[in-house]
Amino acid sequence: MTANLLSVRDLKVSYRVGNGHIDAVDGASFDVPRGSIVGLVGESGCGKTTVARALTRVIADNARITGGQILFDGKDIAAIPERQMNALRWRDIAFIPQSAMNSLDPVYTVEYQLNEVLRRRGGLSAREARMRCESLFEMVGIEKGRLRDYPHQFSGGMRQRVAIALALALNPKLVIADEPVTALDVIVQRQILDQLRELQTMLGISVILVTHDISVVAYICDRTVVMYAGRVAEAGPMAGVLTRPAHPYTMGLRNAFPDLAGAASGTLTPIDGAPPNLAEPPPGCRFAPRCPFSIEVCSTESPPLAEIVPDHRVACHRASEAPVLREIAARTETWLAHA
Amino acid sequence: MSHLKAVASRTLQLALVLWAVVTILFLMFRLMPGNPMAAYIDPTFTVEQQQALMAQFGLDKPLWEQYFIYLGNLLQGELGQSFRYREPVAERIFALLPNTLILTFSSLFVAYAFGILAGAYLAWRRGSAVENAAIPLVLMTRAMPEFWLGMVLLAVFSFWLGWFPAGGTRPAGADYDSLWALYTSRDFLSYLALPALTLAIYSQGLPLLLMRSNMLDVMKEDFVTMARIKGLSNWTVVVRHAARNALLPVMTSFAIAVGYQLQGNVVVESIFSWPGLGRELVNAVSASDYPLAQGAFLMIAVVVILMNLIADMLYALLDPRISHA
Amino acid sequence: MHDLALQKPGLVGRMFRSLKLPLSDPFAVFGLAVYATFLLTAIFADAIAPYDPTEILYTPEYELASDLRPGEQGFILGTTSLGRDIFSQIVYGTRSALIIGITAAFMVALIGSVVGLVSGYFGGWVDAVLMRLADIAFGIPFLPFVIVLAAFLEPSIWNVVLAMALVLWRDTGRVIRSQVLTLRSRGYVDAARVCGSSDLKIILRHIAPNILPLSFLYGSIAIGWAILTEASISFLGFGDPQSISWGYMLQDAFASQALAKQAYYWFVPPGICIILVVSAGFFITRGYENLLFPKLGR
Repeated sequence: MTANLLSVRDLKVSYRVGNGHIDAVDGASFDVPRGSIVGLVGESGCGKTTVARALTRVIADNARITGGQILFDGKDIAAIPERQMNALRWRDIAFIPQSAMNSLDPVYTVEYQLNEVLRRRGGLSAREARMRCESLFEMVGIEKGRLRDYPHQFSGGMRQRVAIALALALNPKLVIADEPVTALDVIVQRQILDQLRELQTMLGISVILVTHDISVVAYICDRTVVMYAGRVAEAGPMAGVLTRPAHPYTMGLRNAFPDLAGAASGTLTPIDGAPPNLAEPPPGCRFAPRCPFSIEVCSTESPPLAEIVPDHRVACHRASEAPVLREIAARTETWLAHA
Repeated sequence: MSHLKAVASRTLQLALVLWAVVTILFLMFRLMPGNPMAAYIDPTFTVEQQQALMAQFGLDKPLWEQYFIYLGNLLQGELGQSFRYREPVAERIFALLPNTLILTFSSLFVAYAFGILAGAYLAWRRGSAVENAAIPLVLMTRAMPEFWLGMVLLAVFSFWLGWFPAGGTRPAGADYDSLWALYTSRDFLSYLALPALTLAIYSQGLPLLLMRSNMLDVMKEDFVTMARIKGLSNWTVVVRHAARNALLPVMTSFAIAVGYQLQGNVVVESIFSWPGLGRELVNAVSASDYPLAQGAFLMIAVVVILMNLIADMLYALLDPRISHA
Repeated sequence: MHDLALQKPGLVGRMFRSLKLPLSDPFAVFGLAVYATFLLTAIFADAIAPYDPTEILYTPEYELASDLRPGEQGFILGTTSLGRDIFSQIVYGTRSALIIGITAAFMVALIGSVVGLVSGYFGGWVDAVLMRLADIAFGIPFLPFVIVLAAFLEPSIWNVVLAMALVLWRDTGRVIRSQVLTLRSRGYVDAARVCGSSDLKIILRHIAPNILPLSFLYGSIAIGWAILTEASISFLGFGDPQSISWGYMLQDAFASQALAKQAYYWFVPPGICIILVVSAGFFITRGYENLLFPKLGR
């Protein structure tokens, strides 16, 4: 048994658009150790959701996994036949979608939708399924009387709990949560995240939490993977990456978000500009055009993802100067001056 | 509760529409050029009969008084006497209604069964050669005059191949113990086949196009993607989730289609000499049998309005977002 | 005079552009081509048709030219039982079909657009009254209504136009109304009002141009409806016996035992013509929908 439940190696996913194609994920590598919560963070369009969906191999009609490996429990699930992949879905790899409103079928009761996976995918009998439904609802803190309700009868937070119950139905090893709290207000966000953490610890499962919000990562994750323009910019233990970021993008992200715990962390400074058009990515480091610290080599050569301290990897030509850059990045003028 | 209130207010609204249609009908038959009395009194009636009808419909009274007498008579189901048949209009119309309903429903069941399946199939084969050829073809069937289609089917299947009779509901001279015995006889089915097929070919386009476009929309919904991520079988994803949701508006359209179909029946019943409401309306108008024409028109209007109401209620019933609000 | 002549193409061109004809959709182009063909046939009917459509014809042997098959004695599509030339009837039928179709469509689109505009723009009790009227129009069975109307009035092709104008504005009216409501909710109407523009000016300058394509879309559906309705009415014998229409031809064929005689050359061509014109309207409509509501996709 390997220490990592999931190892993604050099994953490439591309979308066919018109006559050309866009490499939405262009060589992403990261690990998910057993029993941990890994935050996959980045701005919208950085490829994090594409990575999440690629792990289930249910991707858009015009998308394809064009390279790399997805080692799940030591097996490359990017290469196995569809039948074997389908056997893994939900039993081993479950998914919590961003908006539970749209991802629950409006014409069936919540119980029907739980039963559907329990019986069709889990092979439970009607009796077993009913008991499991009740215990799942108990787990996520909804009274079992509401099993017979339809999705639209729940509040946003409740629906997200239903989605969690649904994801845990078959005792998966890995749960992928795609922006699970984005649509909720801050207080409910915290409740849901607390619950997710509690259940994850109790069940010993692994969670990949996809989010654009670095404060969510800080609140709940053990490890973090920062993505930029289809590539991994920085990855490592959450505390290490967030307190001592080595990539200017991570430094910028940290300035741009309020603290979920409520503590004021000074002024918020957004990173100027937008991620590059992936149809024609810039040569060299993809963050260079927005980076206040970019030097000549940055726009010609793509930096490799290298380990700077044990277990902490970063893809930046100036990673060795990180402590100094952090000081400068903490100042608001740095990001304004660049603009 | 709010749902019940919505149904009640909709019912009230349609009752008002019905009242308006009844009033329009009254005005049409009284104010149109020609002798207003002609709307009720056949010149060949005896003087006593004429006077009895004058009294019954208040034809010697001012217009507004006639209107209230007319409404009162309607409420009692009194539609006057047919000139041609010398029998109460209401009786005649209720005797013809089953024929029309059988034709309408049998053709619509066929049309919807086919249209729903074919629409779902075409959505699934989106962008294929089959779909590219089928959609214009379906639009063409919507562009056909129903009676022309009936003529072609008659010429081919009845006059040329001789597979089906040319019109009516039963062989000449055939007699049946009851209406039920007639409707369940083999002969009746062979008479029903061509007119029902004509209407079905015309009507399948609506459910087909509706089902197809709904399916295309629903297939893009998150819950369909989720069903795939759950590893559910293709059949479960497409049928239980996508089709089940896409079906909602199609089912509702069934009731509306019954209303439209009744209007189309006017020509198709005439072609196939099908003794229904539509043919009766045409014959009554041609023969200046005004009470009968008025009665047939009213009956068709009532069914159309009733079907609009049923469509609303069906939608509320089938969609838990409304029924479990 | 000169200025007008110079300005005119500009104005026509602008109008044409604001219609946003869907020229990139092959089916819509096919539909427009069908319209154009029938329009030319209708205009030059006198030159195209070899005979007067109502004239009873004789063979060179002085026999009645009745029930001739296509090609016999030089009759392209044969003759009717009364010895009339079917091809000439088809050609002249184009005329009445288009006259009825276009005027009825114009009336329906015009009334529907005005009702929708007024209803959506002013709202309140005006809207309530107009929409209840639309509800009532939806409660009237259309074909029976036309039959009764045709029975009371003198037989004329205009009965169909009148009936459509009285009843069928309902669909266009509702759609245009909801479109106007959407347009209103985008700030610029309020902005124009704050700037002191009059209601009439706002409607004409800001709203009408945006609903013109929709009116045209419903107009092209109405052309089909009008032609189908006229055919049904003529077929049932409530049409104008003086004017040759495709529906009249079909009624003539049906009453003259053309089905039993297997005279397909008689009753198939008028049906095909109706299908072509009506489906041309559908194809144009579809092209429009792809243009107006691209998210619907194909």
